Amino acid sequence: MRVSAETKLKTRRRILESAQNLFADKGFEEVTTRDLARAAGIASGTLFNYFATKDSLGLAIVALHLDDAREEFLRTRRADESLEESLFAHIAGALRHLAPCRGYILTILETVLTPYRIAHQCESAERIRADHMETVHDLIAGAPDAPGLEPSSVAMHLYWTLFIGVLSFWSHDDSPGGEATLAYLDQSTRLFVAALRDPAPLHAPTITPATLPVAMDGTSSESEAES
Amino acid sequence: MSTTPRQPDVADLIAALPEGLRDDLTQDDALQHLRAVLSEPSERPIPSNQFRRMWTLGTLQGKVAAAYIAWWVRSGLRNDDVRQDALTETHLKVALKLLDGMGYLRGAFLKLGQMLANWPDVVPEEFADILGRLHFEAPPMHFSLLRECVRRELGADPEDLFDDFETRAFAAASLGQVHRAKIKGTDQVVAIKIQYPNIARCIDADIRNFKISMTPMRLMNDWDNICEQVDDIHRMLQLESDYEQEAENLRRARLAFHEGENIVVPRVYSELSSKRVLTMEYLDGLHLGPFMETNPSQETINEHGRQITLASFRLGYKHDLLYADPHPGNYLFLPDGRLGLIDFGCCCRYTPEDVAYLNEMEEAWDSRDSDLLHRAIVKAADLSPSQAQEKERIDLTLAWAAWVWEPLYYEGDFDFGDPAYFKRGLEVWGSLLKKRYVRSLPLNQWLAKNFLGIRAVLARMGAQFSMRDIHLQESTVRS
Repeated sequence: MRVSAETKLKTRRRILESAQNLFADKGFEEVTTRDLARAAGIASGTLFNYFATKDSLGLAIVALHLDDAREEFLRTRRADESLEESLFAHIAGALRHLAPCRGYILTILETVLTPYRIAHQCESAERIRADHMETVHDLIAGAPDAPGLEPSSVAMHLYWTLFIGVLSFWSHDDSPGGEATLAYLDQSTRLFVAALRDPAPLHAPTITPATLPVAMDGTSSESEAES
Repeated sequence: MSTTPRQPDVADLIAALPEGLRDDLTQDDALQHLRAVLSEPSERPIPSNQFRRMWTLGTLQGKVAAAYIAWWVRSGLRNDDVRQDALTETHLKVALKLLDGMGYLRGAFLKLGQMLANWPDVVPEEFADILGRLHFEAPPMHFSLLRECVRRELGADPEDLFDDFETRAFAAASLGQVHRAKIKGTDQVVAIKIQYPNIARCIDADIRNFKISMTPMRLMNDWDNICEQVDDIHRMLQLESDYEQEAENLRRARLAFHEGENIVVPRVYSELSSKRVLTMEYLDGLHLGPFMETNPSQETINEHGRQITLASFRLGYKHDLLYADPHPGNYLFLPDGRLGLIDFGCCCRYTPEDVAYLNEMEEAWDSRDSDLLHRAIVKAADLSPSQAQEKERIDLTLAWAAWVWEPLYYEGDFDFGDPAYFKRGLEVWGSLLKKRYVRSLPLNQWLAKNFLGIRAVLARMGAQFSMRDIHLQESTVRS
């Protein structure tokens, strides 16, 4: 029997909802794919038709929350927000929506969202990253207080590293109401915008003999650098 | 030979920095930055895009402030022996390195550097300004951050709790900022004080690091006393970062004044307040600077001087509250002649032991008996038997007490605007610092801040009135 697209969508949604509850109750590490299938009322084999691994299921939940957060952010943002404020609000909203995933976000970060794995072929992770970065790029390009600012690829990579750093900090934060994360996020966005406005440190350093690495025999490897 | 140190020039300052901190500092750079640093330091908000750079000792500004601290320490040691000088050199390096590792206390250290830069050749108004600036600063918060803070503290967005919430702060608070709004669905205008997130934990960490880094100084004679004072400062900072404590102080102070006394303390809205957010009735008045620009009559000035004094004595004698940080920003001059008291974060509550101690000190001063006075000084300064025999130390401490008490014994109107009076107080205080006579019961640090702060405000106003009469009226209350 062919399963209609609508039924597939419903099943996918049911898997995601029941998985989120299970992760919250038992912890991400403790939940097996068998538990996930049973909670969604499907066979284990069917689960793999939708999600190849538990990590990819976790990642899909994260993606859903980030989509909701972005939609809310774009709907409620003020036109006069500074770039720092927009970036802060964008990430703060994401953290609020990701609260149900806080217990296992670190696992997702380590496996698929880490900056070390950008080149890795993981479609969902790439989509999360691309959607988030597109919004950030639009915020920078349209910032009322920074007209004409065009972020370099280095700057955008720096941003992603900061964002992942904030998620990681937040997942460990035991301060009342997560106030340490708020301060950390505020200072991270200030740092990033300061670097955007004064990009000198982001440019490649001038190569001079003094900055060249010294070879094992004590001579500088100038010729290698020139080549 | 004069004991007053000369004002340092730029070369002195650069030379005072330990090696490694002065290497990339040229005199031209320093001169240019020095002017900027000393112009109106607290008037300039921290530029948000330079947030990190401003707070780093690696900056020129940080070095200039550090240089003033270094110069001050060295200037007091010119006649001391080489061994002591070397020991201090080590402490100095440790202390300056500390600046770089601190989150929020660093701001206070930089301000200390600025203050020492102007002192002691400063005129009273300038000193009064600087006293007002000696506080902890938090970075400015944009509305999105405020919204997150309010949401976490009060459980709802500011837009759901208030109408007409002004996104721009109308005042800076010591640990955050203050916004104006109306309570939802009413015409009640309120001032909402919102604390920068995580500042209380940062202060705890700063104090911990500070104490660890001070351990090389543990062999000094006054180490025990320094530790007690640092602990007390820590305790006060913790109280200041707890807005529920401040709300309690406001409620207590609000009960202290009758209608005819024209002193008003804003009402607290408890349901819209928490440990990090404080919602109070908004008082519409002028701060000291703008108030003085309206050229008020001498009689108006004197009346406000009386109100400030009455408020301080009433809170202290009847309600066991010491308004420990009475800087100009804490007073509002209302158009109908009332005085508004608006900041109760830095308030000590006297314990029964404190009250007994204060009574003992007042009785000793009243008696004019030299033995009683000597014993009181030894107790107040927490002196060892050998220190109690140091004549210069005792004389200087007595001179400080005499300066404090002078207006309380003066019959008739005392002229607080007389620059000679204020300058005398500064000279005695400065001599105590220069001689490193820093031992004291912790409470005295807050009393000294109160005495200097109030007198600095009265000096700026040029108030003339009988403090003695108000003291006689209010001091009879204490049991």
